[in-house]
Amino acid sequence: MHQISKLTYYLVILFIVLSINFFLPRVMPGDPLSYLTDPGADIPARITEEKMEILLAYYGLDKPLSEQYINYMVGIIRGDLGWSIYYNAPVLEVILGRLKWTLLLVGTSTAIHVTLGILIGATSAWARGRKKDMGLLIFILSISSFPSFFLGILLVIFFGIKLDIFPISGAQTAFATYSSPFEEIFDILHHLVLPAATLVISHIGGTYLLMRNSMLGVLGEDYIMTARAKGLSERYILHRHALANALLPIVTMTAMTVGFMVTGTIFVETVFAYPGIGNLLYNTVLYRDYPLLQGIFLFITVAIVGANLIADMLYIRLDPRVKHE
Amino acid sequence: MIEGRTILGSIGLAILVVFAIVAILAPHIAPYDPHQMYRPLEHPSSRHLLGTDNIGNDILSELIYGTRVSLFIAFVVSVISMIVGTSLGLIAGYFDKLGFLIMRVVDVFLTIPRLPLIIVIASFIRPSVWNLIAIFLIFGWLMTARIIRSEVLTLRRRYYIDATKMIGGSDCYILWRHILPNVVPLVVVQFIMEATHVILAESGLSFLGLGDPIARSWGMVLHDAFECPIIYVSDIWMWWMLPPGLCIVFTVLGLTFVGYALEETLDPKLKSQAYGREL
Amino acid sequence: MNLLEITDLKTYFPTQDGIVRAVDTIDLSIRERETLGLIGETGCGKTVLGLTILRLLHPTTTVEGTIIYRGSNLLKITEAEMRRIRGEEIAMILQNPTTSLNPVMRVGEQIAEAIRLHQGLSRKDAKEKAIEILDSVRIPSPSGRVNEYPHEFSGGMKQRVMIAIGLACDPALIIADEPTKGLDVTIKSQIVTLLEEVTEDTAMLLITHDLGVARALCDRIALMYAGELVEYATTREIFENPLHPYTRGFLGSLPSNGLVPIPGMSPSLINLPDGCRFHPRCDHAKAICQKKHPDMIEIEDGHFVRCFHA
Repeated sequence: MHQISKLTYYLVILFIVLSINFFLPRVMPGDPLSYLTDPGADIPARITEEKMEILLAYYGLDKPLSEQYINYMVGIIRGDLGWSIYYNAPVLEVILGRLKWTLLLVGTSTAIHVTLGILIGATSAWARGRKKDMGLLIFILSISSFPSFFLGILLVIFFGIKLDIFPISGAQTAFATYSSPFEEIFDILHHLVLPAATLVISHIGGTYLLMRNSMLGVLGEDYIMTARAKGLSERYILHRHALANALLPIVTMTAMTVGFMVTGTIFVETVFAYPGIGNLLYNTVLYRDYPLLQGIFLFITVAIVGANLIADMLYIRLDPRVKHE
Repeated sequence: MIEGRTILGSIGLAILVVFAIVAILAPHIAPYDPHQMYRPLEHPSSRHLLGTDNIGNDILSELIYGTRVSLFIAFVVSVISMIVGTSLGLIAGYFDKLGFLIMRVVDVFLTIPRLPLIIVIASFIRPSVWNLIAIFLIFGWLMTARIIRSEVLTLRRRYYIDATKMIGGSDCYILWRHILPNVVPLVVVQFIMEATHVILAESGLSFLGLGDPIARSWGMVLHDAFECPIIYVSDIWMWWMLPPGLCIVFTVLGLTFVGYALEETLDPKLKSQAYGREL
Repeated sequence: MNLLEITDLKTYFPTQDGIVRAVDTIDLSIRERETLGLIGETGCGKTVLGLTILRLLHPTTTVEGTIIYRGSNLLKITEAEMRRIRGEEIAMILQNPTTSLNPVMRVGEQIAEAIRLHQGLSRKDAKEKAIEILDSVRIPSPSGRVNEYPHEFSGGMKQRVMIAIGLACDPALIIADEPTKGLDVTIKSQIVTLLEEVTEDTAMLLITHDLGVARALCDRIALMYAGELVEYATTREIFENPLHPYTRGFLGSLPSNGLVPIPGMSPSLINLPDGCRFHPRCDHAKAICQKKHPDMIEIEDGHFVRCFHA
């Protein structure tokens, strides 16, 4: 019962997002086309007549609103997200071509970030008030003040250029030929380190603080005292009693974390010229490729909302108290 | 531990005060007009302490005036968000039917990822400070409304609200005298958090090129630097990229420290008897 | 033969408002298989005393004095040695079963983990033993319930689970902290009967504010007020011949005696009254009670009182 209503809730959200996506360009002051042909705006791309035609057809601005809406919705269901002006290809195709790199980046980063965040958050809470805790706290709070793009730039400069340990752009070395699959994997990993590190470092604050607070809350609970009264070791109590309880809110947070990671990736991929969807978005904004822009927006939003849904479902399964509703 | 909290808060406050002063006194402190063009890409010298950018603007002046832009946007958005968020939160907490509706809207907008939507909207409009403020306001009040409403619901359960009603206190009176004072500390913390988010979001947007090209914030300066093809050559980044980035970092740091110091004062769940021994 | 001997025990908490003297020089002893009741109002320091014995307090707490258990001073042994004693030789049944049980861990596991730790049994054997113990505390269908979570148990059942955890490793001394608090009358009497049964061969320190329960279970009773003991005697003596005005007031507040409350409020443990700590509320207070602090004196055989007028 719980799950069904959650599902409807998310479907409603999806519907709203799709509608926002539809109404946005039509509601904004001045239609997008006028902006593109405005001599005052500095758009690098040239808009030819042909492209204007495509845009007009895409937006169907000559047809009545309701018809546009229905066409739009039907198109979405059929997987038609429009035609990219700049890349001259279907929007969906352009996005999917870039998807794997973003998945790789966000996937690895999330895994590392969650693990690290939990570990140091728990360590901090356990050592509450002592030097280790204060030190970690100040360190993490300070690091979190760095916007991800600035952090990326710093890493590029120090590790990429000054020390020259890691490459500073791309997902793989351009035009490389590999003598073995391991070599290719190594090259990919080599390119992955700095962007992933940037994503992890710039977002770890959230999980760390949440884990720390959650753990502190748990440590103050009576059942921890019961565990101590049984003579169990501190380490055992941490692992078997405290962690399980403290981790529950992290699960829901992980969905939000993925959301932050995905938005963070927009900046990180840009800084590192990593060929994922984030970088695509940057270029799209630069060239004002509206169909592609909206397609990416839709894609990202659906992905994040989907992650939320999964996290909610997971939480229901994990907390024994909730199961028996 | 108590001392740690206060030290951090004081450092944060000091940083913020410095930036505020720079912002207010910008025309008196900046050596040049940030739009005045001199020789481009000059190294730092006695005439241009941070050198000049690719079109010849004095970078130091840009940064000083940029303080105004960044802080202004953050401040305006936060203040309005707090007012709107608190009002809606109070109403939603106190009047159930209306509250349900408001909370549905809040839930929906909180689930939609902020930044992608902001990017899309921003790319459809003319970039300007007030447009940016408007965009950030769409999301700014949401969290506050939710938190305030939650607090109001908790407060309502306490008996003294019913007691006040029994002796004839009107709803307005109750809201003003009993509920609002309890809610103020939460609002202050939320204000700081929102300001932090706005500064980061605004600099991010500007970095992507969606900021106001005339009233250049720190993010815009970074954007220009990043777009410059020879930025990593001959250490140009040192005076063109590091300073604006560090400005953002220190502002956010100041806010974070203050926010953290205030948060620990208010959160009752962090019981003082919670501890762990040596593992 | 004294199983546990407490001498000059002090437990002080440093706080922002001053030092809280929760336990302020207490002498106590418990014999093998004896049940000693520690009675007092909420906030007088009785739970703290229990926690002090097992060294479960926050590291910043100041503890002084000696607690001799079977020849060793518990306050001087290492943490590792203390852990061996906790649960196995001295076990504590903490207050409030609802919050004292881990909500995401099965009940059987919460019993079995202590067994595995102290008695080295395998998982399977420990679980078997846990089922046995659940049975001995009269939980129906224990082999099924052993896999359930705490929220699936009622209040009285959870209390039994707490008792089961205490008994798991057959300790020599059980410290029971308010085992009947918050339970309704029928359940309360069931728990009392249960406690009577299971502590036949075990010593027990029963911490409670419920005199009726104490009367049913205890051999001797100690009354605690504002961090110190004010009267100490056999159960019979306490009920038939109470000497301290506080004890008399406490007995007078029983429903069967007319529910007469003791006027005033118990003092803050930071700012204690001069002289006798009870004097502000005492009908018989004289000048000397305000100035001098009375010592604990043995008035009759085995009956101790801290009062100038006993």
